[in-house]
Amino acid sequence: MNEKSALSCHACGAPLDIRNLVSESGWREAPRIRDMTEIQFGSSTCQVEGEVVPVAEIKLGSGDAIFFEHHVMLWKEETVPLTVMQLSGGFKRLFAGMPFIISVATGPGRIAFSRDATGELVVLPLHPGMELDVREHAFLLSSHHISYSFVRIKGLTNILFGGQGMYMDRFVTSGSPGLLILHGYGNVFERRLGPGETIMVEPGAFLYKDSSVTMDVEFQKLGGGLFGGAGMSLARMTGPGRVGIQSMYVHHKTE
Amino acid sequence: MFCTHCGARIPDVANFCVGCGAQVNRGAATVSASPAPPAPPADSAPVPPPPVRSDPALANPPVRPASPPGAVTKCAWCNAAIEGALSNCPRCGATLNLPQAAGASGWAQLPARKDMAKLQFGDSFCQIEGLYVPVADLNLAAGDSVYFSHHVLLWKDSHIQIEPMSLKGAWTRMFAGMPLIMTQVRGPGHVAFSKDLPGELIPIPIQPGESVDVREHLFLAATGHVAYDWFQSGVWFETRTDKDERETHYPVGQFMDRFSTGNQPGLLLLHAGGNVFTRHLRPHETILVKPTAMIFKDPTVQMHLHFEHPNMRFMGWGNWSNRYLWLRVTGPGRVGIQSVFERIEGETRNISRFSNATEQRW
Repeated sequence: MNEKSALSCHACGAPLDIRNLVSESGWREAPRIRDMTEIQFGSSTCQVEGEVVPVAEIKLGSGDAIFFEHHVMLWKEETVPLTVMQLSGGFKRLFAGMPFIISVATGPGRIAFSRDATGELVVLPLHPGMELDVREHAFLLSSHHISYSFVRIKGLTNILFGGQGMYMDRFVTSGSPGLLILHGYGNVFERRLGPGETIMVEPGAFLYKDSSVTMDVEFQKLGGGLFGGAGMSLARMTGPGRVGIQSMYVHHKTE
Repeated sequence: MFCTHCGARIPDVANFCVGCGAQVNRGAATVSASPAPPAPPADSAPVPPPPVRSDPALANPPVRPASPPGAVTKCAWCNAAIEGALSNCPRCGATLNLPQAAGASGWAQLPARKDMAKLQFGDSFCQIEGLYVPVADLNLAAGDSVYFSHHVLLWKDSHIQIEPMSLKGAWTRMFAGMPLIMTQVRGPGHVAFSKDLPGELIPIPIQPGESVDVREHLFLAATGHVAYDWFQSGVWFETRTDKDERETHYPVGQFMDRFSTGNQPGLLLLHAGGNVFTRHLRPHETILVKPTAMIFKDPTVQMHLHFEHPNMRFMGWGNWSNRYLWLRVTGPGRVGIQSVFERIEGETRNISRFSNATEQRW
């Protein structure tokens, strides 16, 4: 619960003095986190700096740790130790183009992260018992209370035309809450689907979903005749649960 | 103004009734929306440019209160006259109560647009969401349609069917690298579009009988009433290597898209990289722009190549690595440019032939 005088949520950084921006079609825009907003998790804090390509600067408390893909690290204090997280299925990850190594930074000390394009930080506090699937390479960092694994995307069509490789990252909380921070390209929007409710999404725009949401890529042939036409694929997302998309998407070749 | 069909009160600028969606039938006495974009008269004196803001305190100018009921505000973007206390232009979504940011040179920035700004076309609405890579979220009414290049589709309602739209000159389009297939969707339902580049979304309402020329690959979507055509840009140059290998380059593309309306208004949506600036050129007024920065122009605006280079002897056309290659645009009419542009392919090579061009040595 935030204090009445607070200007931003201590758990996710969302401004509290402005209303949610929700489109008429039901998409909620990711809250625009103010420059230098502080977010607390465990005995650590995360300060969001910048607005065009925001940086997540973490002040790790003693005993706290975070994990991340090593190419998103921007800077760190020399005293912060880095270790490697033990992952299963190393060869599978290697062949699927996923990072072979997930790094872990342990407090106390400061370390900062950013990605390589204009976009938004999506701060997702995960309560105990939540499961979230994230597009590969989209996660910036996660607190050590969250367990990390990866799930194979089912179906050959999904892999060939889904535009996101063979695997998705899966983040699960069990006994204690955790903090997950993603970076979405462009603007990020979220929609909550009811049970059985469906929406068709450009596969390259998919950013995250609750594990209860199913994703099936459907291929559609456009035109034909002498020139063979073109085709396009769209991901059918079926609820219940949340779906997050990014507006500057990774477009895969469909022609 | 009131709708002659359902009697609802509607803004004077609206092309369609906000209550029933019927097309507005303007009598001579009630016409207040001037066609966009107007060109200043040929004999008009140059308009003194507004002062450039240099005071940091004015970097974020205060928002003016909305106009009182009855007052008429002119939309800085589509030039429509808005009556009443509206904060957004219903035709193009531009914020009305902000001073327009224009430099002393005459270039005006695309007017600010509030996140989630909404505009109307036909019985349908378009909501513009996000600020970095904005999304055009269209709520299509039954009977309304939009067409688009299929790679800009972000999401759609499950029940909406995507149909191919036939285009003439498929071979030529294929060889020119233009999209071979245009796709369309029909209402009712929601469909949304975005492109993969940080920038601005440009809504261009096209009034009956008007046309807009757009550089290829910048088009996002257009309403069904807007006719789509394309033409040779006529701007090219040929480079030659020492082995006499020749290559033709098209700095604004081999073809340009032309969007026109017949007797009904339409809405055209473009997406440009970075920030967008527009300028009204008077008749015969010229300006040099980077060819790859151009977004759109009125059909009345002419363009050709312009070379600029040092005045040195013993040099042929192809020997200048410090040569500048411009697009020289000549009024009357409006021209729009983007602040993110690509390098011109072949610019520094040996140019052997080129389309109509002017030259300046300094």
